[in-house]
Order: sequence, then C-alpha cells, then structure tokens
Amino acid sequence: MSDPTTQNTICLEEATIISQQSFPGDQYILRVHAPRSAARAIPGSFAHLACGPAIPMRRPLSIMRAHQRKGWLEFLYKPVGAGLEHLKKQTTGETLSLLGPIGNGFTPDPRRPNILAIGGGVGIPPMIFLAESLQNDNRFEVLVMMGSEVPFPFELSKAGISVSRVPPTASYGVTLLEEWGTPSRVASKAGYEGCFQGFVTELARIWLSKLSAQELQKVQLLGCGPTDMLKATTVLAKNFDLPCQLALEEYMACGVGGCAGCTVLLHTPQGPTMKRVCVDGPVFDAYQIY
Amino acid sequence: MSSRLALKFCGLQLSSPIVLLSGCVGFGEEYTRVEGFSNQDVGAIVLKGTTSQPRLGNPPHRLWETPSGMLNAIGLQNPGIDKVVTEILPSLNFSETCFIANVCGSTVDEYAEVTRRFDDSPIDAMEINISCPNVKEGGVAFGNYPDMSARVVEACRDVTDKPLITKLSPNQTDIAANARACIEAGSDALAVINTIMGMAIDVETQRPIIGNVQGGLSGPAIRPIALLKVHQVYEVAGPQGIPILGQGGIETAADAIEFLLAGATTIGLGTALFYDPLAAKKINSGIEEYLGRHGFSSVADLTGQLNLSDMQNTPASG
Ligand SMILES: Cc1cc2nc3c(=O)[nH]c(=O)nc-3n(C[C@H](O)[C@H](O)[C@H](O)COP(=O)(O)O)c2cc1C
Ligand code: FES
Repeated sequence: MSDPTTQNTICLEEATIISQQSFPGDQYILRVHAPRSAARAIPGSFAHLACGPAIPMRRPLSIMRAHQRKGWLEFLYKPVGAGLEHLKKQTTGETLSLLGPIGNGFTPDPRRPNILAIGGGVGIPPMIFLAESLQNDNRFEVLVMMGSEVPFPFELSKAGISVSRVPPTASYGVTLLEEWGTPSRVASKAGYEGCFQGFVTELARIWLSKLSAQELQKVQLLGCGPTDMLKATTVLAKNFDLPCQLALEEYMACGVGGCAGCTVLLHTPQGPTMKRVCVDGPVFDAYQIY
Repeated sequence: MSSRLALKFCGLQLSSPIVLLSGCVGFGEEYTRVEGFSNQDVGAIVLKGTTSQPRLGNPPHRLWETPSGMLNAIGLQNPGIDKVVTEILPSLNFSETCFIANVCGSTVDEYAEVTRRFDDSPIDAMEINISCPNVKEGGVAFGNYPDMSARVVEACRDVTDKPLITKLSPNQTDIAANARACIEAGSDALAVINTIMGMAIDVETQRPIIGNVQGGLSGPAIRPIALLKVHQVYEVAGPQGIPILGQGGIETAADAIEFLLAGATTIGLGTALFYDPLAAKKINSGIEEYLGRHGFSSVADLTGQLNLSDMQNTPASG
C-alpha cells in the first residue's frame, strides 16, 4: 500500500569489500564500504547481498556495525549454503551489490532502562550494533549476554565493568564492548575460558532470578539467535513478566516486501496474521511470535 | 520514456512493454521503497493474487533457491477482495502506470465474484490466475484442463467488460489447446507462463524444504521452456489478434527481445527483480537500443518477428 514514509528508504549500492576476516569455527566478519546504507542503518536492520553471478538469490545479513562517517557496514556470518560459501571467497577490493538497510530495528522502551540483550551465534550482530548505538544514550544501561558453541569471533578479556549478581564463572567480556562502556558476559557449552558453562539463556535466568521485583520492573529483553534460543528467551520473558523483542530470520527473495516469501505467523489481539520478516520486522514482539 | 516503447495491449495503452508480475511486487507500491525505482518505468503492474476471503497462505519455508532459479509456495496470501478494493486500490497512483488485478479462486463462482468486484473498481484489467501451483483447490486444478479453464474464463467474461488476460499453466500437455479454449471463452490476452511445479528435499532431515511440500519454479531456469510455450501459444493466438504477456526467467533486454520475437507483445519481470530491483530501467534502454540498431520504429513491430524460413520445427529433440 502506498506509504510515503517507507518510500525511498532502501538503497541499492555497489559495496566495495574493505576486509573479510575468517575466524575459527567457520565464521567470517565482512566489512564493506556502502556509505548510503551505513548512513541509515539501525540496530536490527539488515542488508540483502548479492553473493556472486552464479547465485540467483540475494542473502540477508544482519548489520553488526555501521560507521556513518567512514561509510562502512560490518557483518558476521557463518557460510551455510552456496550463497555465503561464495561470499566468503570474495576479497578486499571486490564489489558486491547491496540492498539496504532493510527492516524495523529494536525499539527499546524508555520506561525500562535496563536492557538485557541476548545474542546467540550469528544472532549476535544486532546486539553489538545495539550496544554501540546506545553507548551514549543515558536513558538506557545495556548488558549484553552472548552464547556461542564455536569460539567467539571477538577478543574477550577479563570483564572490567562489574555487573552485580552475574555468576562468577562468567568472568570474561568482549573487549570492544568494554571500550564502549557496555558490560557483557559470554556463555558456551564448549568450556571456553571465562565463559559461563551452559546456554546463554541459562546465564540470563540466573541473573534475572537474583533481581528484586522492583529491579525486574526496569528490565526489558532483546534477543536474536537460533530458534531454540529465541523460544527460551520468550520463556524467560514470560516467567519474569518482562517485555521482549526478538529479531527473526527467514529465507528471503525480494527483501522489500513484494513477495510474501519471508512471512511469520503472529498472534495479535486481532487474531492470527502473517507478517513479512523483511519489512514488517525483522524485530517483533516475542509475545506475538511464541 | 521513448514513444518507441509505447504500445497497445488488449485495449490498454502502455508506456513500456515491461509488466511487473503478480506475486513479486506485492500490491503495487512495495518496490517504491527502493531508491531509484519507479512505477513509471513499466507499462503495467500485476497485483498479488486475490481471493474472495483473506488467506494466510502456506506455512514456512515458502522459498528455496535452486540452480538458476527458485521455488516458491506462498499459497496466495492476500487480504481478500474487500480490503484490496476498498483500501489498497484507492491508495495506488494510476497516473504512473496501469494496474492489473490477479484473480484467484477455489471455485468457478469465486473467480466470477472476485472479477465482478474488480469490475466495479478503478483497476485497468484483470488477469485470471488458473495456474497457481501452490494451492490445494483451484489454480492448476482448473488451468491444466482446457474445458475447466474455459469454464472459468466464461464465468469471468460474463461479469466484466474490462480486459481479461488468462494466465496459462505450463504444467500441462498441450498449452496451445488450452490457449484456444480460453480465447474461445472470451479471453482478451494470454499470460504465458506461470511457474513450473517443483520440489526440494533436505537430505539431512529427509523432509521437504518447502512447507507446502511442492512449489513453483521461476527464474532463468525456466526461460527456454517459457520461450517455447510462448512460441506455441503464438501460433494459436497470433492469427486471432490475441496478444501474449510473455514471462518466465526474463532478466535482460536480450531475454525480453527473445520473447517478443517468439510472439509476445509484452514481457513480464518477476524473479529478476529480486536480484536487481532496477532491472526495468536497463531493459527499457536495452530494447530501445535494439530497436534503433535494427531499424524498428516501435516495439510492437518486434512481436512474432522470429524468422523460421527454411527451418523444420519438429517437436522432438535429440
Ligand atoms: C514469490 C512468487 C509469488 C508468485 N505469486 C503469484 C501469484 O499470486 N499469482 C500469479 O499469477 N503468479 C504468481 N507468481 C508467478 C509469477 O507471476 C510469474 O508468472 C513467474 O514467476 C514466472 O516469471 P519470472 O521467472 O520472471 O518470475 C509468483 C511467483 C513468485 C516467484
Ligand atoms: S522477502 Fe519478499 S516479502 Fe520479505
């Protein structure tokens, strides 16, 4: 439907690869020069990338960081499928067609100043973006909890910013987030040093269960990651009576709302409805999803 | 846009032979989100398949990439004819391009009812979708049988004088026979082709990838099939002056010209937009360049210019 507020919100640009770094566990961090998209990206939004001429469909990747002044975007991905397998072989200086930024981002509620941002695996990027974009916003205090079953593709170090009531085994944080002044804690079943041993949602549960009713009233949850993690996050939200927004992923064709290929079933007060993950989301109210 | 690209198509005056295809461009305004995209670059836009009642469509996954193409099984998700006519059509800018409805149903009566509602609306024309492979009732259940196809077209013809385009299924033995039946039943134009039925399996889980088990294949993978179907339908439709909207895997101006030469009057873009939302601009200028180079004064002159002299056109291959 014609809506002037959405017109011309997505740009198509030839993005030049600035760097593509590989990390253990078959993970890649890609940085591209795409100034028009970088200027408009928000935490939760994604870009729809052409991975090469032999790959018929674009691939959506969540934006992990956007540098407005320098005009770059950064993504973290694991090469699942032919498209991303192709993308991982591209090197500095090569270009790829980028459609972005797409989607509605997280809209944290200012009445709930304490954000617990839960990211799992390749669902970590929006949480990094959120932490970076809120670092100077004194309405919110963000605590990021991340889970991964492969080594974290970021430098971890002994957490300098203390967070009361997190279990002492979760002693490491992400160095970069510390530099932004954002506390973070990491979880893994793989037994990495400084990580809470277990699922990230178990770590979150321990922390939440130690908060008083009054403290809980200031908390909201944001999440992105694999389906099981999103479901567990929603269970936490329901158990502790917290608002919760989740960023979803689905296969996409157009990425701009035209094909209805990426829909998710939502349970709204008006009844069941299908929403497009690309332009109606990717962020939705967890209570309407599960 | 150059006047050489302007043409008439079943009574509609189009500014370009390019038509954006049903199911790929939502309800006409979705792509205006993309900077540089304009509905003015195309001759017409076909809206998403519309039924009498709202439909939630099929469960996920609805899409899957395949070699040189993709499978989809959306399942005709749409808000129903009421909402389309009362809320969506009034919001469209009909001065920019022509808008064509895509009429669907599970019964002949439903097709007629949806057509009647569109007849009483600003819509420029209607495409009868008797070829959707992704719904349990209707769709190809009508489109794969000439008699059933003709019954649907007749019922729609009875309730409207607006141009009717019948969208033919490639999933049948003799598409030319079906085309003939639809023309006799009163169709003003034919859209050739809809998607080809296909499937994909996740070998790790041993489950179908598509939530609907099967889906419709589109994109360059189907282009040679679509081109032959256009050629076959043109042999029936051409002599009767019934124009064809050729489609199936068109990505470039050269692809579009192939379809025009094979007998199409207009050409459709669907899957190609997913990769290049601005494809229409490039195809317009590519066709124009071709017209200039080959001394054609109008794109309409390209239709059916395929040169078959000294050729034997046998159905068998190998
Ligand atoms: C995601 C998707 C949804 C579609 N939905 C419809 C539809 O609602 N009605 C219809 O007649 N055709 C529908 N089609 C078929 C297209 O309109 C077109 O006939 C077909 O995809 C072949 O053209 P292409 O290869 O250029 O995409 C759909 C195709 C796709 C890819
Ligand atoms: S990917 Fe086409 S509507 Fe979302």
